[in-house]
Amino acid sequence: MSDKEDPQPEGRKEASAGLIQYSPENLVPFGPVHPALKEPEYFKLILEGEKIIEVIPRIGYVHRGIERAAQERTWIKNIYLFERICGICSFAHSLAYVQAVEGILQFEVPRRARYIRVLVAELERIHSHMLWLGLVGYWTGFDTLFMWIWKDREHVLDLVEAITGNRIHKSYSTISGVRRDLPENIADPVKKEMAYIQQRAKYYKDLVSSEETLISRTKGVGRIDADLAKKLCPVGPLLRCTGIARDVRIEDPYAAYDELIPEIKTSTEGDIASLLALRIDEVNESCRLVLEAIEKIPSGPVKLTAPRSVPKGESMFHVEAPRGELFYYVRSPGGIAPERVKIRTPTMANILTATAMLKGHTLADVPVVLTGMDPCFGCMDRVSVFEVDKQKEWSVLGEELRQYGIKYYKERRAG
Amino acid sequence: MSKETGSSRKEIGGAMGEMFRIAMERPITKQYPFGPPEFAERFRGKLDVDPVKCTGCGVCEVVCPATVIRMVSTGKRKVGTREIETKRPIFDLYTCISCGQCVDDCRFGALELTHEFELATVDKNSLIMDKALKSVR
Repeated sequence: MSDKEDPQPEGRKEASAGLIQYSPENLVPFGPVHPALKEPEYFKLILEGEKIIEVIPRIGYVHRGIERAAQERTWIKNIYLFERICGICSFAHSLAYVQAVEGILQFEVPRRARYIRVLVAELERIHSHMLWLGLVGYWTGFDTLFMWIWKDREHVLDLVEAITGNRIHKSYSTISGVRRDLPENIADPVKKEMAYIQQRAKYYKDLVSSEETLISRTKGVGRIDADLAKKLCPVGPLLRCTGIARDVRIEDPYAAYDELIPEIKTSTEGDIASLLALRIDEVNESCRLVLEAIEKIPSGPVKLTAPRSVPKGESMFHVEAPRGELFYYVRSPGGIAPERVKIRTPTMANILTATAMLKGHTLADVPVVLTGMDPCFGCMDRVSVFEVDKQKEWSVLGEELRQYGIKYYKERRAG
Repeated sequence: MSKETGSSRKEIGGAMGEMFRIAMERPITKQYPFGPPEFAERFRGKLDVDPVKCTGCGVCEVVCPATVIRMVSTGKRKVGTREIETKRPIFDLYTCISCGQCVDDCRFGALELTHEFELATVDKNSLIMDKALKSVR
């Protein structure tokens, strides 16, 4: 991987990927499999020297057959199945599914249950964004930030545990409402912790806009503009960081978002630095929504009695998961189990944008840029780099690549 | 990069201030297993059954998403002139996801989720709970 021109030796085959012609020694396979992923990704990185000129994603490595499995389970059992598609946004998955089913049943969910759904969904957004912020700190070599943010994230997870009974797999949604009412005296701890998170978010906002380690690794890295975003259709923060204000919570309000109206945060830069600032803004906004929800929450029942069988019909639903728009399609044959469930997760929509973000950057930027799209992360745990000239194949673990990135930038800064 | 260094040195000072502040705090991590574990009241741990309250109706078997519960026959009893098979649940807790759906649906209040969470074992058979079976009325 040197910068000098490497003339094609005779007899070497040229591979092609679509319209791009590349020689095998320029290919860095990136991925693919890690069990922690909901959408494992394999990226073929085609390099010219140190520079990435083309990225070809290939997905579908850990296809678990969840949509098929859903057809074998009853409506209630499927809630717990879909929660396990993704740990971080488990509530968003179950929320989208139960609301799709409620659409077929034409249920009017109690108002208190709708407020509780907003409350838990926003707590989940806060902890998902904080997890992401910490990981950007980790991949850029700013481990202190990673530790601080994950420490603060525990405050949110404690609240989630107090409300739902578990930190990650909340098992809190049910068809026709939520499974349990809020615990008594939850308002005070929620107010206290939200005030703490808002105070910390303010500090982190100052930090990411002034800390040299972060700025040098994120400013101008992975830049996309609004025109490109319109072509590639990303969702969630990746779209909003280009200045396009799109949010399902505003455009098609669900749960109690018609009464608790969030403010859409945007940023115009479109790089990782602006994504950092944007996600911190969204954490702040979510804190405000949680406080508003806990103030305004009405009294009443939290669930109705849902029938075991659902009449014939079909329904679609989308929610704003922490990573972006999450889409569910449910079709009922009229019985105790669905006939078809189709899921489109935000990472699926964002993956092409991530490849566009990578172009023109160096191998050292790959972890940060791929982190920027907030994928399910494990795909970066394994990279194998082929160097044909040296007749050597080496497998790089995520940690080695991280060290390489940190070293690369240190050397570049030094000289 | 060099012209930014001068201004950012101050800002690193800000991060240092935060570092000193945190260094003065007590550590928030606690050594496991010394000291009592902290739970929310609603924490969902290991499932437990009350053999006296269980009637063997089998609703828990139907609703369980993780196929933890299987009903086995424990004999027959007479109701009037008819003979009815009595059943009791066996819990294969090694597949339990602690969702609590069975607890929600048990009309007799026989099931509950305890705060017990240390379920790691080398023998999965040790997690088969047949308490309800042994004390059939």
